[in-house]
Amino acid sequence: MSSRISTAGMSMVATNAMISQQAALSRLQNQVALGKRVVTPADDPIAAVHILELQRAQSESDQYGKNITLVRSRLSLEEQSLKDTGTVLQRVRELTVQASNTGTLTDKDRASIATELAIRLEELTDIGNRKDSNGEYMFGGYSTTTQPYSLDANGTVNYNGDMGNRLVQINTSQRVADSHSGYDVFNNVPAGNGTFVVGANAANTGSGSISVGSVVNRAAWVPDDYKLTFVDATHYEITDSATPTPTVVASGAYVSGSAIAFNGVQVEISGTPAAGDQFSIDPSDSEDMFATLGKLITALNTPSESSSGGAQLTTALANSLQQLDQANDHVLSVRAEVGARLATLDSADDAAADLKVDLQTTLSDLRDLDYASALTELNQKLVGLQAAQASYSKISQLSLFNYI
Amino acid sequence: MADLMNVGVSGLLAFQRALSTTSHNIANVSTPGYSRQIAELMTRQADVSGSGYIGNGVDVSTVTRSYNDFIASQVRSSSSSLSYFTSMSTQANRINNLLGDSTTGLTASLQSFINSVQGVANTPTSIPARQTLLSQAQTLTQRLQSFDDNLQSFDKQVNNQIDSEAATISQLAQNIAQLNQQIVSARGQSGGQPPNDLLDQRDRLVDELSTHLNVSTVQQSDGSLNVFVGSGQNLVVGASATRLVAGQDAFDATRKTLVLQSATGATDVTASLTGGSLGGTLDFRTQILDPARNSIGRLAVALADVMNEQHGKGMDLEGNLGGDFFSVGGVDVRENSGNTGLGTVAATRSDLSKLTAYDYVLKSTGTGWALTRADTGAAVPMTGTGTATDPFVADGLSIVVGGTATTGDSFLIQPTRTAASSMEVVIDDPEKIAIASPIVAAATAANKGAAKIGGTEVLDASDANLRTDATITFTDATHYTISGSATVYNYASGSNIDANGWRVKITGVPAAGDSFTVKSNANGTGDNSNALKLADVLNQPVLNGGTTSLNAAAGQFISSVGVATNQAKSSAAAQEVVYDDSIAAQQSVSGVNLDEEAAKLLQYQQAYQAAAQIIKIAQSLFDTLISATGR
Repeated sequence: MSSRISTAGMSMVATNAMISQQAALSRLQNQVALGKRVVTPADDPIAAVHILELQRAQSESDQYGKNITLVRSRLSLEEQSLKDTGTVLQRVRELTVQASNTGTLTDKDRASIATELAIRLEELTDIGNRKDSNGEYMFGGYSTTTQPYSLDANGTVNYNGDMGNRLVQINTSQRVADSHSGYDVFNNVPAGNGTFVVGANAANTGSGSISVGSVVNRAAWVPDDYKLTFVDATHYEITDSATPTPTVVASGAYVSGSAIAFNGVQVEISGTPAAGDQFSIDPSDSEDMFATLGKLITALNTPSESSSGGAQLTTALANSLQQLDQANDHVLSVRAEVGARLATLDSADDAAADLKVDLQTTLSDLRDLDYASALTELNQKLVGLQAAQASYSKISQLSLFNYI
Repeated sequence: MADLMNVGVSGLLAFQRALSTTSHNIANVSTPGYSRQIAELMTRQADVSGSGYIGNGVDVSTVTRSYNDFIASQVRSSSSSLSYFTSMSTQANRINNLLGDSTTGLTASLQSFINSVQGVANTPTSIPARQTLLSQAQTLTQRLQSFDDNLQSFDKQVNNQIDSEAATISQLAQNIAQLNQQIVSARGQSGGQPPNDLLDQRDRLVDELSTHLNVSTVQQSDGSLNVFVGSGQNLVVGASATRLVAGQDAFDATRKTLVLQSATGATDVTASLTGGSLGGTLDFRTQILDPARNSIGRLAVALADVMNEQHGKGMDLEGNLGGDFFSVGGVDVRENSGNTGLGTVAATRSDLSKLTAYDYVLKSTGTGWALTRADTGAAVPMTGTGTATDPFVADGLSIVVGGTATTGDSFLIQPTRTAASSMEVVIDDPEKIAIASPIVAAATAANKGAAKIGGTEVLDASDANLRTDATITFTDATHYTISGSATVYNYASGSNIDANGWRVKITGVPAAGDSFTVKSNANGTGDNSNALKLADVLNQPVLNGGTTSLNAAAGQFISSVGVATNQAKSSAAAQEVVYDDSIAAQQSVSGVNLDEEAAKLLQYQQAYQAAAQIIKIAQSLFDTLISATGR
C-alpha cells in the first residue's frame, strides 16, 4: 500500500521546495550583484581569513612602497650633496697643488690662496648643514634638529650630531638607511695613508721635510707612536713610545731623499735636517675634512720663506694632498654606498610589483565570483523553480470534488 | 418489520455521523495540528433465533483520531533541534555580518595602525605623521570598542530573549495544564470517549513548546499529559503548571538565568535546558558570544601590552621616556552572591603569552582554593600560594586571595571580558609618542681599531642609570671595562654588552685604548629606531605561548565566528530536512486528504441512501401485509 499523502502535506512539500529554490536564487543573485563568492566569513571561513590576510599584506605592501619612495628621495638628495662635496674637494686640491709651487710663490700669494680655501671651507660646512625637504638636517645622524656643524672661536668646525643611522623598512625583511651621518661622510676620513700619519716637529730648525710614506709589509707593521730623531745632521734613530726608556727600533745614516724603512713601512726625508730635529710616525686614526682644510689654511697663512719654514710647509702640503685624496676616496666610497642602497630600493620595488600582482591574483581567486559557473547555476535554479511552480499549479487543480 | 425499520434507522444514524465526521475532516483540512477523525462503525448485537443470529444494524462505536505518538515525538524532537540551530545560526550570523566587512574590519584597522607607525618612522619629527598615528590608534581602539559594544548589545538582547522565552513557556505550560483538566473532565462526561479536538489542541501546544525547548512527555491514565524539561524537572503535572522565570546569575546580576518556580522552591535550570530557540539562545551566549567578547578583550590586552612595553623603551620628542600608549580594563573578579565568608580575590594579568579567552571560577575548598574553567568545569592547575608575594599563577593570571572565605564560596574571574570596552589611547600629545631610542651609541673619533658599535637596545627602561653617560674602554683587543669600573670583561666580536639597562653589540677588532660611548639620545629627535621596533613587535607572535601574532589572532577570531556560524547554518539546513520528513510522516498519518474524504462522502452518501431504501422497503412490506389481510 502506498503511503497516503494529505492535501495540506502535499502543498507544504511543494511550497517548501519552492522556498528553498528561492533562497538559493537569492544567495546567487547577491553573489552575482556583488561579484564576490565570499561575502561574509561564514560563506567560507578558511578563505575569509585568507582574504583578510591578503588584504592586510596588500596594505602593508603599499606602505612599503611609500617608504621606498621616501628613502629614494632622501638618498638622491644625499647623492647631490656628496657630488657637491666632491666638487669642493677637487677645487681645494687644485689650489693645494697650486700652493705647492714653493719656489715661485711668496707668502702673500699663499695667503691669497688661503683666502679662497677659507671660502671653500665655508662652502663645505654649508653642505654639511644642509636640510632635507622635511626641514631636518641631513647629516646630523639622529640629531636632525641640531645644526650638525658649527665654527667655534678657534676656527675649528665641530660636529654636534651623532653617529646614528636612521633605517627605514622597505619590505618585511629589509631595512635601508635613508642617510649617512656627518660623522660617516665628513669626519671619519682615515688619517695619513690609512696605516700611519707623519708629522714634522714644529720646533725643527733644519730644512728636512718628511714624505707621507708607504706600507711595504703590512704584517710587519706594529702600531705605535714612533719618533724619528736626528742624533746629528747625518744620523737618525727611530724610537717607539715605551716608557720610561723608549726602545730604538731602527737607526742609520741619513741620505737625503732615500727611503728609511722600519717595521714594514718606509718614509723619505729630504733636505737638510739639523741635529735634534724630530718627525713623528703615528698610527692612523681619522681626520675630518674641515680639520684638513683648517690645517692647510693655517699652513698657507704661516710665513714659510725661511728654509725651516719651507720644510714645514712642504711636509704640511704633502700631508694635505694625501689627506685630500683620502677625503675624495672616502666621499666616493660613501657615494658608492648610496648607489648600492638605491639599487637595493630598485630591486625591492621590482619584487614589490611582483608581489602586488601575486596578491591581487590570489585574492581574486579566493574572493571573486566565477561568473560563468554562477550564472549557469542561476539558470539551473531558475528552471527548477519555474518547473516546481508549473507542476504545483497543475497538480493542485486536481480534485475529486470537481466531478461530484 | 419493526426490526427492518430499526436496522434502516441505525444505518441512517450511523452514516449521518460518518458524513458529519467526514465533513469535519473536510472543514479542518487547513487547521494546524488537526488530526483527521474516523467514525468507527460496528455491528449491533445480533438477535438469537432458531435459525441463527439475525443482525440488528450498525452503530458508530466511537470517533477516533488518526494519531501516532511515536511520530509525534519525532516531530517534537526534530522541531526542537531545528529551532535550536535556527536560533543559533540567526544570532551567530549577526556577529558574522558584523565582522564581514573587510575594509573596516579588525585586520584592516590593525594594519593601518602599523602603517602609520611606519609613517612616523619615516619622518620622526613630523607632527602630522605623529597625529596620523594617534588618530589611527583612536580608530583601532574605536573599532575594537564598537565590536565590543555590538557584542554587549547582543548580550542585552539575549537577556530580553530569555525574558520573553520564559514568559511564553510559562504561558504554554499554563494552557497545557488547563487542557489537561478539560480533557480529564470531558472523558469523564462521555464515559471515556476521547475528546479528539481537545487532544489535538493540547498536542499542538506541546508541539509549540518543543520549538522553545526540549521537553519530554508522559501520558497519564486519566488522559492528562505530564511535561518535563531539562534533566527531568516538572513543567506540567496534571492540572498544575510550574512557572519558568528569568533570574539573575549568581556572579553577575545583569546576566539573566532561568529559574523554575514551583510550590517547593526555585531551581536554576539554565545549564540543564537544551534545544529549541531558548537552548539555542543560551548556547549562543556561552559558545559564541562570551568567547567572542573575551577574544576581542584579549586582542585589546595584547595590543596594549605589546605597544606599552616597547613604547616605554623609547624616547619622545621632548626627550622623555615614553609612557603608556594604550590603557585597557583590568581583570574582572565577580563574587558569588551566595558567598557567606569574607574572602577577597584580586587578579591581574601577568603573562600575555599564556592568556586565554576563557573565564574561570575560583572556589574555596576549605583547605585551599581550586580553579576551574567556567564553561567546562575542568580543573586548571595553579602554582603559588595565593599571597601577595607568591600569588596563584595559572593561564597567564596572578591571583591573590585574602580574608577568610567559607568553604564553597566562589569567585568568577574574567581575564579579558571588559578589557576592550574601557580601552583608551592614553597619549593625546603627538610629541609624546616615543619614536626614538633613549640612548645612542658612538665610537670615539680617535679610535684606531676597526671595531664598530651597534645593536643598541633598551632592556630595562626603569634602570635609573639608563641614560647616564657610559664609556666602554678597551684595555686591549680582547678586554674592556665599563665607565672606569674595576671589572674587566672579555670581549668577543658581536656578543652582547649589557649595562645600565641597555644592550649594545661591538663587532670587529678594537685597538687598545679605543673607546665607545653610550649616552642619552636627548638630541636624537630624528631617530626612529623605537618606531621600527614598535612596527616590528606588532607583527611578533605574542599570544598562545608565543605562536600567534595580533594579526593572526584577529584572523583566528574571525574564522572561529565564521566556522561557528557556518556550522549552525548547515546544521539548521540538515535539521530542516529531518523536520520536513517527520512532518511528512505525521501528515501521512494525521493529515486530511480531500480526495479520500470526497470518496468517503460519496460512499457514505450511497450507504445513507440505501439505508433510506430499507425504510421504504419496510414501509412497502407493511403495506403489502395490510392490503393482503385487510380484504
